[in-house]
Amino acid sequence: MGYRVAVDVGGTFTDLCALNEETGELVFVKDSTTPANFAHGVVQVIRKSGLKKEDFTSFLGNGSTIVINAITERKGAKTGLITTKGFRDVLEIQRSNRTDMYNFRYEKPRPFVPRHRVFEVDERLDFQGNVLKALDEKSVQTALENCKGFGVESLAVCLYNSYSNPEHEEVIGEAARKILPQVPVTLSHELTREWREYERMNTAVMNAFVQPVVDLYLSTLTSELRKMGVTIPLHVMQSNGGVSTFDRAREIPIYQIESGPIGGIIGATFLGRVIGEPNVLSLDVGGTTAKTSLVDDGEVKVNTDYKVARSAFSSGYPVKVPVVDIVEIGAGGGSIAWANEVGSLNVGPQSAAADPGPACYDRGGKSPTVTDAFLLTGVIDPDYFLGGEIKLQKSRSEEAFKELASTLGRSLRDAAIGTIQVAIANMINALKLVSVRRGYDPRDFAMVAFGGGGPMFATALARELGVERVIVPRVPGVFSALGMLLTDLRHDFLQTRVLRLSQEALKEALGVGEGFREEAVKRFEEERVLLADVWHELSFDLRYLGQEHTVNVPIDWKDSVADVEKKFHDRHFKEYTFKLTDPLEIVNIHVASYGKVKKPRLKKYKASGAVGDALKGKRNVVFENGKLVRIPVFQRDKLPSKNRLKGPAIIEEPTSTTILRPGDKLMVDDYGNLMISIPGSG
Amino acid sequence: MVRKGVTESFTLDIIQNSLITAAEEIFAVFGRTSKSPVIYEVLDYACGLTDNQGRMIAQANGVPGFLGTLDMAVVQAIKKFGLNGFHNGDIIITNIPYTDGTHLNDVTLIMPIYYRDEIVAFSANKGHWSEVGGMHFGSWTSDSTEIYQEGLQFPTIKLFSKDKPVQEVIDIIRANVRTPTMTLGDMEAQAASLRVGRRRVQELCDKYGGRVVENAMERLIEQGEELMLKRLRELPHGTFMAEDWVDDDGITDNPVQVKAKVEISDQSFTIDLTGSGAQAKGSINSPWVATVSAARTILKAVTDPHMPVTDGSFHPLKIVAPEGTIFNPKPPAPTSTYWEAMAFVTDLVWKALAPVVPDRLTAGHFLSVCATIVGGIDDRSKEPFAIVEPQAGGWGAGKGKDGESGLVCSGDGETYIMSNEVIEVRHPIIVEQYSLNVEDGVSHGEFRGGFGLVKDYRINNSNATFTASFGRSKYPPWGMNGGDGGGPNYFIIYKSGREPFKTRKVAAVELGKGDLIRLKTGRGGAYGNPLDRDPKRVADDVRDGYLTPETAKEKYEVVLPIDLDPDQRRTETTRKSR
Repeated sequence: MGYRVAVDVGGTFTDLCALNEETGELVFVKDSTTPANFAHGVVQVIRKSGLKKEDFTSFLGNGSTIVINAITERKGAKTGLITTKGFRDVLEIQRSNRTDMYNFRYEKPRPFVPRHRVFEVDERLDFQGNVLKALDEKSVQTALENCKGFGVESLAVCLYNSYSNPEHEEVIGEAARKILPQVPVTLSHELTREWREYERMNTAVMNAFVQPVVDLYLSTLTSELRKMGVTIPLHVMQSNGGVSTFDRAREIPIYQIESGPIGGIIGATFLGRVIGEPNVLSLDVGGTTAKTSLVDDGEVKVNTDYKVARSAFSSGYPVKVPVVDIVEIGAGGGSIAWANEVGSLNVGPQSAAADPGPACYDRGGKSPTVTDAFLLTGVIDPDYFLGGEIKLQKSRSEEAFKELASTLGRSLRDAAIGTIQVAIANMINALKLVSVRRGYDPRDFAMVAFGGGGPMFATALARELGVERVIVPRVPGVFSALGMLLTDLRHDFLQTRVLRLSQEALKEALGVGEGFREEAVKRFEEERVLLADVWHELSFDLRYLGQEHTVNVPIDWKDSVADVEKKFHDRHFKEYTFKLTDPLEIVNIHVASYGKVKKPRLKKYKASGAVGDALKGKRNVVFENGKLVRIPVFQRDKLPSKNRLKGPAIIEEPTSTTILRPGDKLMVDDYGNLMISIPGSG
Repeated sequence: MVRKGVTESFTLDIIQNSLITAAEEIFAVFGRTSKSPVIYEVLDYACGLTDNQGRMIAQANGVPGFLGTLDMAVVQAIKKFGLNGFHNGDIIITNIPYTDGTHLNDVTLIMPIYYRDEIVAFSANKGHWSEVGGMHFGSWTSDSTEIYQEGLQFPTIKLFSKDKPVQEVIDIIRANVRTPTMTLGDMEAQAASLRVGRRRVQELCDKYGGRVVENAMERLIEQGEELMLKRLRELPHGTFMAEDWVDDDGITDNPVQVKAKVEISDQSFTIDLTGSGAQAKGSINSPWVATVSAARTILKAVTDPHMPVTDGSFHPLKIVAPEGTIFNPKPPAPTSTYWEAMAFVTDLVWKALAPVVPDRLTAGHFLSVCATIVGGIDDRSKEPFAIVEPQAGGWGAGKGKDGESGLVCSGDGETYIMSNEVIEVRHPIIVEQYSLNVEDGVSHGEFRGGFGLVKDYRINNSNATFTASFGRSKYPPWGMNGGDGGGPNYFIIYKSGREPFKTRKVAAVELGKGDLIRLKTGRGGAYGNPLDRDPKRVADDVRDGYLTPETAKEKYEVVLPIDLDPDQRRTETTRKSR
């Protein structure tokens, strides 16, 4: 009997998770990522797992950070761009904002195509897609010859107003394939049909930039897999929280821009559904960052507001493709604690990352990190980090914290506690960003905590936010790979069409949605997905007439104008605390189409025996309130299901440590998840 | 500083972060619910929190030009009502340039935040309202001579009382503005976001106690001052001077001279603007609050662009601007294009200090907001339309870097120039060109100035009016360390059957179908001698079409073969023989 297999290629580790479809048993393997040839690391981890070619029968999924790496390291193709006459400089002008506004030496993000590889063609559409000036074929010819002359390896085409009519882009695409048969072509309307020329142009350019890199990776990977005898089709994780087929992934690699962290969120959603908690706040704390996302009634939030390398110091690069709404902050295990010049304590965003790592790794790291703080406060056992693979040196942590403590005028212990407190406060702000700021009350949510560090922070964060239930899934360190096994196929469609809401407008918008539905069905048929397993979700971006920003509202295909109005007013009130009596406007029509993949049945967790068998001993731990307590330490995989355990306590496993704070109550459920109830915080 | 128990001192750090987050949240809510592009796209607004004396604690800005204008409005409100004169749920409205405002379009709302019957803080925000009445559509104009022509004045009065709108005030607004739906929609968004600030501060007080929150505010102010004094010690000390000319007084063609003397010591940073011209006849006057704000902006840019600022940060800042001058006008001076003078406060200090602080400052930039209004009644819907927006231009080069092309001016910040595709959907306008202004030439230097932009608006409607104010048109940006000066800002109006009209200021000019406006912003100044420019950079500029091979030869003495790979040896020889 076969396995469902997912491989998650991360920055440091490549994780594999496989599920035996018959027994529901899970296999987890971790190995190093191989940046020189990522496919090699995938093969390596498959070998290490002991899976055989006949085990690969139903599903093989892959998520990676390859796209984002190629962009941040600027290692992509020599890209060219064709656009409408009069708009050659849009990529360089951008939106002209000065994000770092008091820095008079601010530098704009550098375009991915230099000016000499941007070529204009003569044509013009109006905003409704009417042709104001026909496409001049001769100018197309010249532009393509120039591409050839400048050695363009990948070509993006983005015409002005093409979101409303793709014809001219298509003609140029045809011509390019004839004149430059070796060069992959990206047409902007195939990625996004949203208005705003700079944003759409940049999206097309970035897709073209990474395409050859991703193509090479995926082809190498398939041929390596073939050599191993693995012939089932490869699925690739997308940033919209779905998977796509191999061919589609090669064509629109930019859809994988955030494919790494999505698996965990999908996993958290699935887990929530299984245990009857459809409202979930996910918390994924890794080495450098903490990531959080909100799942409302089993739905992950997806939007197209993503920006690469956006920070307080840079406006970043907009990418208008659907990406799960994640808030990421620089607070992870490796985040460095520091004091500013007037003695305020800060944590991150600077991180010691994996190399040199926290001071206690004893690999040359000199800065005090969050991991060092947890070591000093007794939460982490120096002899059981990664199950004992790395021996931690407490003396190094002490050295690292010495200077910080003296700057702050406090003891070592206080400095360590302060570090944890500040990291917690930063995470609280991030969690509020995805919940309170979007009109959700965290008290209505359960928190699913994973990544190496999530379970250390979760119960403290839950307390502050009034979250009553924390769930730590099995093997939290590789939970993202598990999530990939549970991901459905997904295609997103979006069309900007600005319409004042009325009977006719609604009919027109539904018509657009209907068209998308047909397109999705066609695509699924090509991908050989059973139509019985396909469903579509329609939503509109709506606003009050005159507003700019929109609110995404799920729409039923049978909704009347009144239904749509009511849904919007309610949603607007929930997010912004007021409603208006003004007319409404439809801006975007969005269809998300899913092809269901068979969901695995997880094996029930069995560990009988007494709680006492799991007890490893007792340890002195200092909690955030500064009190030293002696508390029991348990080994996770020996904890019997259904038994109850009261905090304070520590639960250890090789990839993570869970802290039960005083008053927390733990129960291990039938699937081996740690279910923790948090006492009311008030 | 007194340090208490461990929990308490870190708690203060955490409260400080939460206050800053609260200011950012007020900012986000206002932006996302607003109905005018000047708010949601241009981000011409600011939100903040002050303590109960009106001292700035945390502020989130869309534009630096509003840095520290909120606190002065709160102080004014306290002065007028007294702390006992407010009730929970009151919102005060004000926009008076001579006491706490900038121009009448910039409207400040202020809400006292109560905790257990005492005011612990104020939540305030200020936004550019697209319409407040006055002589022309859009209210601000380049041809007013008295403030009465520029719109409604709100002299620190209650807009909401105990969370209920004061209907009389709302009715007056509705009756006096040309776009009541847009204006009142923005007012609603602005008020709603203040309530978010109130909720956040009250939550903090619930959690940590009102006293602890007040202590945290006090410490923020102390730290602000401490950090600023530290930075002042790192700056070169002494007296630095600069002078310049503002193109005109707004009405005639006569330029206005402006001067600054900057004195830096361990304890203070003094900007003395004495000697600058008398208050102008036209609307270019920079009210006192705007002058202070521009001074604060350059102080932050020179000392530390990234430090969080509070009231304390500005304790060492002293400004001298005699009353009745262009930098501190008396009523009823018009102020509606105040940025034309205000920008010079920043720029004069910048120019005086650039040679001694080259790691923070570049050569001069295009400076003016280059604000434009295109409005009218849309033939299709019979409804009014208006684009009110700044234009982007060229920035100066600096030590080690070329100037940036197409950035908003120093008075604007996280300001997004509107997407042209969005403009075309909303307005009967066709954008025919949006490109770098390479055609007006290059500022040559070891590092060259950034380029301005060219934007063409074709009117696709039977009627439209056009108002604009482009400063730095007669006196272009300054170069640094021997580099070229920059180029001018201007625009050209092409009306059918008439000669093209090139100018820098117009008010409510009438346009018809097919007429075209070409907006051109200037390039920034250059840095250093062109002969020191890396030949590779020269070659890149030729390849990218910024320079012709002839100019490369003439100005830079760079010998470029056909493949544009510069001939280093021959270049050096020619440069030496010069």
